Amino acid sequence: MKTPLVRATPFHARAAAANLENAWVLRNGVTLASFYSDANSEALAARLRVAMADISWRRRIMLEGARAVEFLSKLVTRDAAKLSPGTSFKALWLSDGGGVRGADAIARYGRESFLLVVSAPDLDWIESSAAAYDVKLRDMNDEGGIAIVGPYAHATVEAAQLTADLEPLAFRKLSWRGIDVTLSRFGEHGGYEIWCAPDDGTVVWDRIARAGESFGLEPAGVDAMDVLDLEAGIARPGLDYEPARDGHASEPSPVALGLESLIDPDHQSFNGRTAYLAAREREPMRLAGIEIHSDIPAPFTPLLLKGRAVGHTLCSMWSPSLRRAIALAQIDVSAFAPGTKLTLTLPPSRAVRELRTAEARVVALPFLKVPDSIAP
Amino acid sequence: MSGDAIVVGAGVNGLVAATYLARAGRKVLVLEAKDRLGGACQTTWFASSFRGPAIAHALTALDPRVVAELKLARRGLKFAVRDMPLVALRADGKHLTNGRDLRATARNIAVHSRADAETWPRFRRELFELARRMRPLWWSDGKSEIPSEIARLRRLSLAAWLDSRFESDAVKAALAGDAASLSPLAPGSSLLLLWRAAQEMCGLQGAAAIPLGGPGALVDALTAAAKIAGVEFRSGAHVSDIRVKDGAASGVVLDSGDEIPANVVLASFSRAGLLATKAGRTALGFSESVALERGVSPAASAKVMLALNAPPAFNGVAVPLRGRFLLADRLETFVAAHAASRAGRVPQELVLEVVVPTAGDPELAPLGQHVVSIRIGPLPRHVAGGWDAAKTPLAAKAVAALDRCASGLARHVVAAQVLTPDDIAARYGAEDSCAVTVERLLSDWSSRIRTPIKGLFLCSAASEPVDAVSGRAGRIAATLALREGAAK
Repeated sequence: MKTPLVRATPFHARAAAANLENAWVLRNGVTLASFYSDANSEALAARLRVAMADISWRRRIMLEGARAVEFLSKLVTRDAAKLSPGTSFKALWLSDGGGVRGADAIARYGRESFLLVVSAPDLDWIESSAAAYDVKLRDMNDEGGIAIVGPYAHATVEAAQLTADLEPLAFRKLSWRGIDVTLSRFGEHGGYEIWCAPDDGTVVWDRIARAGESFGLEPAGVDAMDVLDLEAGIARPGLDYEPARDGHASEPSPVALGLESLIDPDHQSFNGRTAYLAAREREPMRLAGIEIHSDIPAPFTPLLLKGRAVGHTLCSMWSPSLRRAIALAQIDVSAFAPGTKLTLTLPPSRAVRELRTAEARVVALPFLKVPDSIAP
Repeated sequence: MSGDAIVVGAGVNGLVAATYLARAGRKVLVLEAKDRLGGACQTTWFASSFRGPAIAHALTALDPRVVAELKLARRGLKFAVRDMPLVALRADGKHLTNGRDLRATARNIAVHSRADAETWPRFRRELFELARRMRPLWWSDGKSEIPSEIARLRRLSLAAWLDSRFESDAVKAALAGDAASLSPLAPGSSLLLLWRAAQEMCGLQGAAAIPLGGPGALVDALTAAAKIAGVEFRSGAHVSDIRVKDGAASGVVLDSGDEIPANVVLASFSRAGLLATKAGRTALGFSESVALERGVSPAASAKVMLALNAPPAFNGVAVPLRGRFLLADRLETFVAAHAASRAGRVPQELVLEVVVPTAGDPELAPLGQHVVSIRIGPLPRHVAGGWDAAKTPLAAKAVAALDRCASGLARHVVAAQVLTPDDIAARYGAEDSCAVTVERLLSDWSSRIRTPIKGLFLCSAASEPVDAVSGRAGRIAATLALREGAAK
């Protein structure tokens, strides 16, 4: 079969119909709506009401084999043996030198099978390492995934007649009025994800759209979801930082990316642990939030404290909830305290060509907490 | 029985490491899997009344600091031959003797090429000078600056380097003989020649020497030094795994199931050998493990010892019997031999390195009789049909090749001992080696010796830039272990 020019997700037909501006973006080789009508209103919908977003771009790999537990305990920074079937955790995987290669959910399907959700492609590394443990990899990328986020996410899922009594990080295979789906709560935004076979994409989309109608559900594009991720203070591989790809890389360090909470200090056997522990004390950078006193986002820009460079921003966007530009930033520990006043140079634009400096303030992460679920 | 330091493997490096640790006040226990100490560095009896070098038949790289610091001369280490010239034996009888006397060597080369005779003194001076500048990297631990010339040499194969300087096959082949563990076409093979030139024996740069009593005498001296320092030994103790607690070595497990606690373990494992243990699989990173599994396996070698009832006499030009003899007419012989052994075949033309231990040490054989030690390599580690079947033809082929340069030699053979790569692995456990690469040649010692497990250090020949009997890996591993212990 010839590879199609557009690699669409199972929801593409519905997404195309909803995409009023014909605005598309490529992520992990998959075509997705960058926004449907307006990214800001979509982000607000996810914050105040409920939104659904196509997350089929996340690579899903099933790891299977008698030694899968042993392999995963070596691969990721938490102990897979402690995971019971039907639950998941978030963890990192590191290079030999302690550099972060990826950070995502690992879900236990059975005694010898695990699902790995990968935001940035790293299949070669996982495959070559798994070979030594006779662990087989099965690509699950044909499946579609829809995230339902917002205070009414729970209500929407219930209204769609899906059993929604799932704990965060749990997942369950369900038969949903004639189609097989997996309902999960892997996401960071307190919502649900529904994973389905490619052919069931339109049915799933329609059912959720109808169930969410009375709660003001809107489809949210990639841009809106990126705003949510930023507001949640999560540094993402491939978007905020370049993940380590050399097998011995020591950069980026988990400490400098604020990802240490994903490392179980009692887990002894994971790859790169020795190097991570050795580099931990020396690492001067920390992850913090930055509020920019301007409407213009300033991604990947140096941050100055009294003229001295103390760090730089990562991803930066305008937050419709906070009504200002915000950014994740890596800042030296000396200037890391919330409230520290920094300056940065705003990027020139079509309207303003001269370089202007703006004030920025260090804030604690996350910018915004996950909104509480509201019962209808 | 417990010790606060355990050394696994009583090869030269293990003995050296144990002695340094014991002299620094550590309680040291050496565990050797075999019954005899010394690993590949032994003098063995064969044919009832002859003795000869088990594997290594000439020392080229023994660290002079080890000799001095462990006072090996006082422990009985004497040398029978201190500076063996390299003799490239040629079928036409125009043998090329490459000795310390530059002018004599140049005269020898002039037979083959006048231009090469003129180039020789200059080339050797440059080689030795550059080699001396590599000693900080190859002799000591710590950051050292790599001379800028290396950037060019590391990409240059030995064949290309020699082709650019010399025209005669004889000279190129003689030089390639000192860098034979890699194909002359392989990247890094130039560095191998440089590494060889950086070594020192008996105070002479680039020399090869034989201890009085054979290589076993070195082990005897080292064992004596170790015992005086208070090292304890246990032989027949095969270590099957390393115990690790909280990321640090806490002891070793023997085949018998016994566990011996220790907070420092110095193991004569290569990194691939470490990966074969449970502790190693857990501790070594994925990148390193995958690289080790996919790594090229090094070429093997075989060993033949002949007992002669008369001194070997070489046809043609007179050559000193105390030399190291090389049987390879051309550089291409090495290339073809490496290619064949990579393909799992015995090379058509064998590359032989021959030493006559009795030339400098007549006591190794009954009066008037001689021992000839032949190293055959490169050879494939495994051959179709197995080495047992290929053993006799291999020895016959080697003797026939030698007989062409020393006619009558075959008639004087009264006994022979042949060790195939299989025999060497079974008897001396010398299988645990690792291929020479540019990375290995130019990496620093601590990256080869340290492991992700705290308190576990590797000190086998595979931790050296090039597999050799030098004791350096042992000395540096002991230094690193003591430094880590002091920092605790």
